Amino acid sequence: MKQKEDNISFVGIDLGTSRSSICASNGTREWFESYVGWPKDFISLKVMGKPVLFGEEALKNRLSLDICRPLEHGIIKEGIDRSEEAVREIIKHLIERARPAPEQKIYAVVGVPADTLKTNKLAIRKAVSEFVHSLMVVSEPFAVAYGMNLLNNALVIDIGAGTTDFCIMHGSIPTEEDQKTILTAGDYIDDQLYSYLNEKYPNSKFNKNMVRQFKEQYSFAGKIPGNISVEIPVDGKPVMHDITNEIKRACESILPALIETTTEMIARFDPEFQVKIKNNVVLAGGGSLIRGIREYLQDALKEYGPCTIMRVDDPLFAGSDGALKLAQDMPTKYWEPL
Amino acid sequence: MISIIPRKRELKLRQTILRGVYEDNLRIIGKEHDTVLGKVPFTFKKMFLFFSVALLATLGQGNYLNLPLFQERQMTASLTTQKSFLLPAQDPGSPSGYGAFFKIPDQESFLLPAEDLVSPSGYKAFLNLPKSSLSRVFGLEVKTIMIDPGHGGSASGSIGKMGTKEKDITLDIAKRLRDRLKKYGKYNVMMTRENDISVPLNKRVELARSSKTDLFVSVHINYLPSRPINIIETYYFGPSSDDKTLRLAEHENSGSRYGLSDFKEIIEKIGDTLKYQESKALAASIQKNLFLNIKKQDVNVQNFGVKRAPFLVLLGVDVPAVLAEVSCLSNREEEIELNTESYRENIAHYLEAGILDYLNKGEVSYEAKRR
Repeated sequence: MKQKEDNISFVGIDLGTSRSSICASNGTREWFESYVGWPKDFISLKVMGKPVLFGEEALKNRLSLDICRPLEHGIIKEGIDRSEEAVREIIKHLIERARPAPEQKIYAVVGVPADTLKTNKLAIRKAVSEFVHSLMVVSEPFAVAYGMNLLNNALVIDIGAGTTDFCIMHGSIPTEEDQKTILTAGDYIDDQLYSYLNEKYPNSKFNKNMVRQFKEQYSFAGKIPGNISVEIPVDGKPVMHDITNEIKRACESILPALIETTTEMIARFDPEFQVKIKNNVVLAGGGSLIRGIREYLQDALKEYGPCTIMRVDDPLFAGSDGALKLAQDMPTKYWEPL
Repeated sequence: MISIIPRKRELKLRQTILRGVYEDNLRIIGKEHDTVLGKVPFTFKKMFLFFSVALLATLGQGNYLNLPLFQERQMTASLTTQKSFLLPAQDPGSPSGYGAFFKIPDQESFLLPAEDLVSPSGYKAFLNLPKSSLSRVFGLEVKTIMIDPGHGGSASGSIGKMGTKEKDITLDIAKRLRDRLKKYGKYNVMMTRENDISVPLNKRVELARSSKTDLFVSVHINYLPSRPINIIETYYFGPSSDDKTLRLAEHENSGSRYGLSDFKEIIEKIGDTLKYQESKALAASIQKNLFLNIKKQDVNVQNFGVKRAPFLVLLGVDVPAVLAEVSCLSNREEEIELNTESYRENIAHYLEAGILDYLNKGEVSYEAKRR
């Protein structure tokens, strides 16, 4: 089904709250954290040496930058905190990294958090259209499902940073009823962990960035894998802190809502299809990397009958891989010039 | 993990899905088929409710009901002629007479004269007091404000040509309004729904009652498929003889889950003067702020004024309650605007200004206006 057009570069973009990635038909696969920073003044501009910084580099230099994470809570905040401009910069930077040949036209499929699609469709098109020749926007979990060939009787649960998106595939493009978004996701875990750690160690100095790093490094649900200790300064001195229980509590805090939504979505289908869907549940997004989450959910859902949950192999690129596959499969007649 | 689907069937599935993606994206840029303009179809139940409401409204206008509210109609009409700020009577569908609008400073100007005729008998003395309101006479305060984003879940409300759903926009505006009002720190601001879920009208009413709401503001978006215009109108509960208003009420009342046995009881509540008087003032304040501010950006926006309409959600709530149609999704330019965050934020700001204007009775300038 793939099209052979030498003068076209197909790209699949996953515009995520936490990380954005691109996969291109020339084989490029790139990602960075969805942070954009602009130097605060001419001194910081001189120190930084560039007008815009992205991802980890922006985070490291955040004190000198006006920093923006444009898709926080899954929506573009137009006219506020330079969010719209930040989305444009992210897209531009991603496409530059994909290195299309100068004469090539760029046909892009962009996956965005499902809620973003509801009220920010035009804003996304506006932000992306400057840099591509033709464009289609889809929801992230749908892009994941398409990329993994999960076209029928499957449920994709995309645990991102701002939102957890659910998408049921049943042989056609999912309607709004087939998709649901809840706000308990990675950022919620960060908030919980931050509050638990402050409660347990009131004299230690944490910040949100440190907490996010603890989560990414040590997150787990269910069975405790062993003691987790981290070094945190107290009165200027590095001190080891045991954070095992706090990590467990924070990571598991998103699971009740996740289980409830999963059962609620599956229950709407005919019982015959319910069984099929329950045996074809796939976890995607950064949250799927939480150790033990697959087993935890599988156990919890067994109460409602046999259930098989899998995890995507590469959560970082599952969305952009799916978007690229969509772009390459899309018949030429469907690509409308912008 | 991957379903075992024969190759041919999989190809067909893919083609269906790819076409769906294409059509979805066409819709975003407004190049879609008429089939997407999904309005809620008429069902027998809704038709029944509609005719009940229409009959009630007709009887109300014709003085056939022996309710105090309607008996008082003619007497009050002579009183209301003294109000010099009222706009001349006109067909709500023809807004041409609003030219002199900006010369009138008082929010009374946002009341159509026909809407000012009904008042209950038991409280005539209060009504005769110039500029008095029962809430002020009794020193009543507003502590809890309930914001009601229209529709939700399987009830999408109106759908624009680009696929924008009324339920999503009303929820977004309502959340912004909630956040704005919360900043004052003196109001307990609640919402009938905070997510994309179906909440029947009777549940919304129950929620307002159980949380002891003092003010109820329902946010909706209009849809006029036959006319490419943008209008703003605000409703409070009352009978109406206008066909368009009754059709709108039928649409907004759908899925109320009220039984006919409930209807007699709730209709008797019409005579609630305090609610009536305050709802009217709140509606006028919101309409004024919405219209005057949106007019600055869109000179073609039309003021359809403050109206009475038999919306069940307004009737069931015991406190001042209004339903604001803040925009018009059938208008293409308006749909594009509604898709921008800044416009939705502005609408929330104007609603906030309308509510605060009402609460301050125009005496105090509030922070919202300075921002």
